[in-house]
Amino acid sequence: MTATPMPETAVTTPIADADHAPEDAGLRPGGLVYGAPAAAPGETMIAIDGISKWYGDFQVLTNCTTKVAKGEFVVVCGPSGSGKSTLIKCVNALEPFQKGQITVAGTKVIDKSTNLPKLRSRVGMVFQHFELFPHLSITDNLTIAQRKVLGRSAEDAKKRGLDLLARVGLSAHADKFPGQLSGGQQQRVAIARALAMNPVVMLFDEPTSALDPEMVGEVLDVMVELAKEGMTMMVVTHEMGFARKVADRVIFMDRGEIVEDARKEDFFGSPRSERAQTFLSKILQHRRYGDPIDTAALSQPSRIRILPMPSR
Amino acid sequence: MLSNFDFGVILTSLPYLFGQGMVFTLSLTVMAAVGGTVIGTLIALARLSGIPGLWHLAKAYVELCRSVPFVLVIFWFYFLVPYIGAYAIGSKTPIQVGAFSSALITFTAFEAASFAEIMRAGIQSIPKGQTAAAQALGMTYWQTMTSVILPQAFRNMPPLLLTQKIILFQDTSLVYVLSLTDFMGAPSKIAQRDGRLVEMYLFAAVVYFTICFLASFLVRRLQGRFAVIR
Ligand SMILES: Nc1ncnc2c1ncn2[C@@H]1O[C@H](COP(=O)(O)OP(=O)(O)OP(=O)(O)O)[C@@H](O)[C@H]1O
Ligand SMILES: [Mg+2]
Repeated sequence: MTATPMPETAVTTPIADADHAPEDAGLRPGGLVYGAPAAAPGETMIAIDGISKWYGDFQVLTNCTTKVAKGEFVVVCGPSGSGKSTLIKCVNALEPFQKGQITVAGTKVIDKSTNLPKLRSRVGMVFQHFELFPHLSITDNLTIAQRKVLGRSAEDAKKRGLDLLARVGLSAHADKFPGQLSGGQQQRVAIARALAMNPVVMLFDEPTSALDPEMVGEVLDVMVELAKEGMTMMVVTHEMGFARKVADRVIFMDRGEIVEDARKEDFFGSPRSERAQTFLSKILQHRRYGDPIDTAALSQPSRIRILPMPSR
Repeated sequence: MLSNFDFGVILTSLPYLFGQGMVFTLSLTVMAAVGGTVIGTLIALARLSGIPGLWHLAKAYVELCRSVPFVLVIFWFYFLVPYIGAYAIGSKTPIQVGAFSSALITFTAFEAASFAEIMRAGIQSIPKGQTAAAQALGMTYWQTMTSVILPQAFRNMPPLLLTQKIILFQDTSLVYVLSLTDFMGAPSKIAQRDGRLVEMYLFAAVVYFTICFLASFLVRRLQGRFAVIR
């Protein structure tokens, strides 16, 4: 997937403006951490290189290797317990791993000189259960990390936060608390919260699995929009219809191994491994996650209002 | 039958009872509560930190405080600290520690231990996902604690927290072993001077009861008002 070209004078803030954030000016040449080489367009954004992880004697991940290019949308799927969550949590070092290396935008995750909070601040993550901060208003949820982590002023943070809130169609809820919003709305706020940090990569761990079926669409819509804008995304999901429509590549995991890593046409057309075939036939039959979002539905106009990209 | 009693003594000694006794009790309660909250939170964090030496130390401290009789420690501390202090600074004569300071240190130390346990439970009640979300946004351990975890833990705790402070208020009466003039000591001094034991102790009991009853009532009223909606 190619990034939509951005005009020089953007009127509205695009959802994904990793390339345009002013503070990137100083950061970019050094990648996420000063001194490390930056990823040029089209280059590898996430390199997962032979990682293995154990919980005690139990091996969760076995020699996983894959790459995610800048602007690419990669779906990670596989049976429950296959290590999908663990794998993406290794990318921003929420989970440590014992073997191998992960490099995000030129910064090594396992390295003494890596400033982990700084690395994480540029890797957005969206969780199955939203994890908004229930004691803070929506506005404060959107601004707290901008102020504490990036050191932005209260006004700048608020402007950026409200901008993104508008982009996910929730301006009216700025002063509410997370408990007052529906699941779908909370998840959209969570996406906006991650985007407020100007991430270079977005990770999603089953972002729609905890939602009522009627709310799945509104969250997927935001993700589609994000993908269109060229955000690099790694998404764990069971929404195979969505994957088929939006993904560039599909990674299939089973028992801690990456069993298949293929372009989506190949994966859905003719999965090579038997395990992937079994998985696909099961998930398409079961429809555990509500009606799978089919291709036709996704090509229809968004159900939520997302401001159009500035174009000319 | 009550004619044998002289409740007038209460009236005449009110300024002494409240001006000295109650002021002492409240100062000790408030100062120990504040100190205990701050130090207790730090102990709870140390205990949850997983850092080997620190974790063990915090646990040992809490266990120690739970396993010794409090009155003994108040007593013991009052007589021992001057010598420890003298030893620490290399002085030959025991250093002067006022009775109030000594009581304050002891109460703060114990309050910290009890509070650490409440706090630890409070922190552990916050879902792990909240920590993950805060860290994923780039927050450091300290930022995660102060901006995300502790504010939620504190909000879930008020009933337990305030009940603990009410108990502290009652417990401060134990300083009578040091012959201090708290709200227990003051009436007892008048009682002995004027031979009005029943009147004075009855009055002290009524005042303690009223304050604690009202405070408990307030705690119940507050309950639910603070709880974070999920
Ligand atoms: N903290 C832990 N300690 C021990 N084992 C764990 C821990 N966390 C996860 N596991 C195990 O690691 C394996 C992979 O877990 P993971 O959450 O990554 O799976 P998943 O593919 O995301 O599954 P799901 O679809 O259910 O979310 C599972 O077998 C799980 O039981
Ligand atoms: Mg998972």
